[in-house]
Amino acid sequence: MTTTPNILRVTVQRGTAAALRQETFDVPAYENQTVLDVVTWIQQMADPTLSYRFACRVGMCGSCAMMVNGVPRWTCRTHVKKVAADGELDIGPLRNLPVIKDLVADMDPFFDKWVAAEARHHPSAERDDDFDPVTAQDPARAEADLGIECINCGICYAACDTVAGNPDYLGPAALQRAWTLLNDSRDADRDGILAAVSGKGGCHNCHSMGSCAQYCPNDLNPMRAIAGLKRETVRAAWGGKRDA
Amino acid sequence: MVQIDRHDTDILIIGTGGAGLFAALHAQQSAPAGTRITIAVKGLIGKSGCTRMVQGGYNVALGGGDTVERHFMDTIMGGKWLPNQDMAWKLCEQAVVRIHELENEIGCYFDRNPDGTLHQKAFAGQTADRTVHKGDLTGIEIISRLMEQVLARPVDKLQEHRAIGLIPTRDGSALAGVLFIDMRTGGFRLVRAKTVLMATGGGPTMYKYNTPSGDKTMDGLAMALRAGLELRDMEMVQFHPTGLLAGDHTRMTGTVLEEGLRGAGGQLLNGAENRFMFDYDPKGERATRDVVSRAIYAEIAKNNTTDNGGVFISMSHLGPDHVRAKFPGMVKRCADSGFDLAGGLVEVVPTAHYFMGGVVVDADTRTAMEGLYVAGEDAGGAHGSNRLGGNGVANSTVYGGVAGDVMGADIRQMGALRDPCPEVLQAEVDRALHPLSRTPGLVQPMRHALQEAMWEDVGVMRNAPGMERGLTRIADISSELMLVGVAGDDLAFNLTWHDWLNLRSLCDISEAITLAALARENSRGAHYREDFPETGDLDASYFTVVTQSGEALDVRRDPVQFTKVRPGETIMPDGAPETLVAAQ
Repeated sequence: MTTTPNILRVTVQRGTAAALRQETFDVPAYENQTVLDVVTWIQQMADPTLSYRFACRVGMCGSCAMMVNGVPRWTCRTHVKKVAADGELDIGPLRNLPVIKDLVADMDPFFDKWVAAEARHHPSAERDDDFDPVTAQDPARAEADLGIECINCGICYAACDTVAGNPDYLGPAALQRAWTLLNDSRDADRDGILAAVSGKGGCHNCHSMGSCAQYCPNDLNPMRAIAGLKRETVRAAWGGKRDA
Repeated sequence: MVQIDRHDTDILIIGTGGAGLFAALHAQQSAPAGTRITIAVKGLIGKSGCTRMVQGGYNVALGGGDTVERHFMDTIMGGKWLPNQDMAWKLCEQAVVRIHELENEIGCYFDRNPDGTLHQKAFAGQTADRTVHKGDLTGIEIISRLMEQVLARPVDKLQEHRAIGLIPTRDGSALAGVLFIDMRTGGFRLVRAKTVLMATGGGPTMYKYNTPSGDKTMDGLAMALRAGLELRDMEMVQFHPTGLLAGDHTRMTGTVLEEGLRGAGGQLLNGAENRFMFDYDPKGERATRDVVSRAIYAEIAKNNTTDNGGVFISMSHLGPDHVRAKFPGMVKRCADSGFDLAGGLVEVVPTAHYFMGGVVVDADTRTAMEGLYVAGEDAGGAHGSNRLGGNGVANSTVYGGVAGDVMGADIRQMGALRDPCPEVLQAEVDRALHPLSRTPGLVQPMRHALQEAMWEDVGVMRNAPGMERGLTRIADISSELMLVGVAGDDLAFNLTWHDWLNLRSLCDISEAITLAALARENSRGAHYREDFPETGDLDASYFTVVTQSGEALDVRRDPVQFTKVRPGETIMPDGAPETLVAAQ
């Protein structure tokens, strides 16, 4: 196979929060090469101490999400040609999260907020019960299905300027999951979810800037889901007042 | 003396795929109140391993003529009479419970028929439409829903903790705990537990082309071997016929292009762009995985290959727009990687996909060592010589749940935590530290050499002289590895140290695979011997068992116990149709 003689100039963020620095490496360019391959080459061939995270290699786990030339991306599915026309790459850990080391971000805040948003199924049936017969044609189920293929990679969370400005904000992914649950007729804790997403860090913080939808590698639209949450939380609040 | 941090728990679970996460949930349901549960994983919770990567779906008999008996017979026939029949039965029987649990309690939503029942399709080797799915991203639905349930529960979570040694009691009668490296700091942590589930998920990544998640390197089986446990069916490596081929320098190589491409009419072309599958099988490209893999391997052996040494898959004759509409995920993934699946030719090659072999367990996931339980791809027996598509995630979720139930019950009879044997603990620490006192060198070229050796000499088609050569190559790489060091000045998230440890595990298990493959002098399921192409006497079926004593590995053959059905017989009622699947 042809190996292009070109060299990529790759700048990588190194170190821990206490001492961050940028280092530049010359990496051989290949015809078939992803950003993850570039990072891998540096670790395997140039600097064995470079830290990064990856797992599935095919865009299903999201472990390898990083900032590439300022944009959050799955590095395993980002072809170098797509992002380095001039042969230069700038790679860093995902934005809006603490750094563990080099390119590895601490995902705990992201998942803590997933939990805080009540973003999990609250059962209304048990294993001895029949399956719910709801089909994908049901309008609410269809709405849920729009957001259900989220792989919780954190790209939207890194892209979101509201997260950057407000550390309490639950962020697009957790809120989108909450919206899928509100549209899942099988979920038994609608009130709990609404309460979780309407608090201090909740959906009303969103300014609809749309970075989440712009950068989602799965073409999901968390902003749309958050707009749905805003409507539902307002409706629930008004309904609550009328009931009072 | 190296510092070893301590963490005590009652139930320890290693791995957060379908087996580990289900074990955590079931242990919580079955154990006495106040039981401490800890879950540890080499990567992030729910993101490591392969459950997430399941495309096809989940095999389960849900009526419509299909029965647990039929699912069981398909599993036995698919495994060529080698499965542990009690395990295969429980897999099929409990899958019915587990799929209801996934939908009703965990919150998964699988595709429906218009009448609201679950949609099921037939995979190769099945005689009923049995595979429940969520589009072609079934694994994401299962693992995301399980993950969010476990995250919300009061379970101690040890992420980026790599298990490196099973530490028994001083008298060796039971497991005392597991030694980990906290990858984020590079420090050691000993976790003591009354019961431990090992669910690290096999993964034959010692082959040049492989599909599993990159963190899977057979650590679990390597630990089990050192601890003296029996490993069965180690020769049984399932190859998927169409892995992406994009060169040695990219992690894209080896990743799966889905089975459905061939089923929909995709054609395989050799380097001269001629179809070849009908030279090997009247079903052409629609032949089963093992047949197609061997045909491609044979074309490669004849040098009828593409530039990168594989063959092409061609879809464009079906109409590029049709291909884009029918396989959007595959087309997009290929496009991201620089290939035009809908309109062009994409290079493919057989790729090591799943490992049927594993620790000898009973149908309750118990092992020969008190306190140690094994489930999922680390456990051998349920699939025998071949795993049916759709039985993998059924197996991991069923047996993960079983392990959780059984551990939760067993700890009621267990007293205090056990004391670890200090000598074994020290030996495992020394083993992990070994490379840090040697002159640093490159690890990746050795990994590459091992993968070449396994692909060439212990691959899709095998023979005795090749495997003998393979044993020598493995031994050479293994010896070389012990001389190559890793710089030890900063052990925090030191991937190169972990690459070294990964390769250590892979070398050990590669030897076990090769010895088992030499010991099986017939061809069954995934194992094909050019020098012994016959199936052999089914009534005299045996499975291989590899054990380690001292530094040496022993292999023996144990007879299959036909506890439910004998070759030539069936447990289906008289007059049951051979298949319920409509002819295509």
